[in-house]
Amino acid sequence: MHILIVEDDEVARDYLAKALREAGHRVDVAGNGLEGLRLASSVAIDLAIVDRMLPKLDGLALVQSLRATGRKMPVLILSALGDVDDRITGLRAGGDDYLTKPYHMPELLARIDALARRGESASAEANTKLKLADLELDRMTRRVTRNAKKIELTAREFQLLEFLMRHSGQVVTRTMLLEGVWDYHFDPQTNVIDVHISRLRQAIDKDFDKPLLHTVRGAGYSLREDE
Amino acid sequence: MGPDQRFLGVLDTSPFRIAIVYSIAFACGAAALLGAVDFAVSRVVDGSTDNLIEAEVQGLREQYLVLSRSDFIELIEQRSQDQDVRGAVYLMVDPQLRPVAGNVPAWPALDAAQGKWFLFKVSVPFGDETREHEMRARRFPLPGGYRMLVGHDVQERQDVKSLMMRGLIAAVVMTLLLGLSGGFWMGRRILAQAGAISAVATQIMRGDLSQRLPVRDADDEINTLAREINTMLGKIEQLTLGMRTVLDSAAHDLRTPLNRLQATAEGAMTQLTVGSPERRVLERVTTEVDRMRSTLDALLRIALAETGTVAREPVNLSELVASVVELYAPVSEERGIALESSVAAGAEVFGSRQLLAQALANLLDNAIKFTPDGGHIRVQLRGSGSAPEVIVEDDGPGIPADKREAVLGRRVRLDEARKFPGSGLGLSLVAAVTKLHGARLVLEDAGPGLRVSLKF
Repeated sequence: MHILIVEDDEVARDYLAKALREAGHRVDVAGNGLEGLRLASSVAIDLAIVDRMLPKLDGLALVQSLRATGRKMPVLILSALGDVDDRITGLRAGGDDYLTKPYHMPELLARIDALARRGESASAEANTKLKLADLELDRMTRRVTRNAKKIELTAREFQLLEFLMRHSGQVVTRTMLLEGVWDYHFDPQTNVIDVHISRLRQAIDKDFDKPLLHTVRGAGYSLREDE
Repeated sequence: MGPDQRFLGVLDTSPFRIAIVYSIAFACGAAALLGAVDFAVSRVVDGSTDNLIEAEVQGLREQYLVLSRSDFIELIEQRSQDQDVRGAVYLMVDPQLRPVAGNVPAWPALDAAQGKWFLFKVSVPFGDETREHEMRARRFPLPGGYRMLVGHDVQERQDVKSLMMRGLIAAVVMTLLLGLSGGFWMGRRILAQAGAISAVATQIMRGDLSQRLPVRDADDEINTLAREINTMLGKIEQLTLGMRTVLDSAAHDLRTPLNRLQATAEGAMTQLTVGSPERRVLERVTTEVDRMRSTLDALLRIALAETGTVAREPVNLSELVASVVELYAPVSEERGIALESSVAAGAEVFGSRQLLAQALANLLDNAIKFTPDGGHIRVQLRGSGSAPEVIVEDDGPGIPADKREAVLGRRVRLDEARKFPGSGLGLSLVAAVTKLHGARLVLEDAGPGLRVSLKF
């Protein structure tokens, strides 16, 4: 994937570029908003990571200009402000996701992956039936089966599983789950998400040989077919 | 507000009430003035008429003594015809009340109770028709059983009087009508302006500090007041925006180096083998960065809630309480804590969903943290509509009465709480969010345990 990083903080930018290159991406960097806009407009970029406060051209203005010129690539906004309202302004300006500094690299990588595969998730969203190996979820009848055996889930467990299935094969972080399933944008101090996940795991993996719901150390969870 | 309510609302305004009082006072004044004029006019006119008649009577009496009856009759006839004495009437009757002389066709039917002075009606020609005119007259006896009356046409005076009466009534009615409709109009104006002001005030209280009170191009008290309040609002907005700017730059200036620290540590960590002493040091660094971040997040959110510059919207509190309880249910179950909840439906408040959710989460987080394994937590949402109450009760150690005030302040952690993780800002955030939503936060003894109540 060809990723553009627009970030004025050199330390953060270099580390980010290095990490993304190690993850196998092609990376272009820009140190200010104008350069970022020039690169984004001239090079075929698959995804952009844009800092919110940039010299010469503000991050939000940059995203707005991109959108105004019909550029539809996913944009992740990084922000050193980061409160509820800032997040909303960021998304309203045309950003697709919003991450507050300081962030963990696994969190950012997981979000970038989710953004890049947004097309898949969108088509999965259109399907009423989601399927992974022998696990099936019907959104219309709200029925979940594994190996044709019916699995009883609470409403929230169903939502959680649906979110994981839409992102199957990807790493999903706790914050992503909290945002995507509960629509909460804060860090609960307790391991609330882990307990929800372990309950879901009990329901879908306990009686079966091959586990589908995996823990990704230091990052989050992943629903996928094989280890 | 329906049209009826709006109408009734006008009746309650002070201009309308003042208008009622003044209208009644002016009406009474008009009535008294016209009454006095009428009284004075009557006295003057009546008095002069009576004097005229009295003089005539006196003269006739004297004539009667010196003249023969037939001459007297002729005199009466003459006077009756006399054009100069306009409106004067005479009648002389014999003992059987048959007219002997005069210009009145018949002796008026009088009862004995009536005195010397009386009023009676006579038909007088008026153009082609005749009219009933009122006469004021005095009767007196003549020797030989004859009687005489001398009177004067007072119809004109009566006309003037009734005209004045009608004028008086019209004046009173007009005063009342004008006063009341004027009062109603002013009341509506005031009500419209007050309504506009309170609508703006509501928006300002909801956090939209750019709003200003509507001001008309007039220098009356309300507009002057509104202008002064607007100046004040401008200053408040400036201060708040200033605080917000400080907050934003503080956030930026703290998050940027933290992010750099995190990046440096994480970057260096990837070069080191898992478990090496150097890597363990860096792991501790990132743990501390996380801790600083969560403290910073909490502090910034508290400060943000305190500036009031938070976007607000209608929030379904019933749904939110249920969802936060549901979020924490598995954690409490793992600890063997019975988490009970009773949530009344339909509670809605105007505010920030995220901040409310976080405040509720902090309360549950605290309750779970401090409740011993196997304990109880009760979450209630009571009341409905826009004034609900959220209560979270646990049977943990509680907070001593003398320290309840202090824990709501910044960074107060009770000694007993130090062994638990957390930034110690949980309740401070709850307090700030409660204040932002105009709610009341009460900490009580749940006997045993803590009972936190948020009353919207």
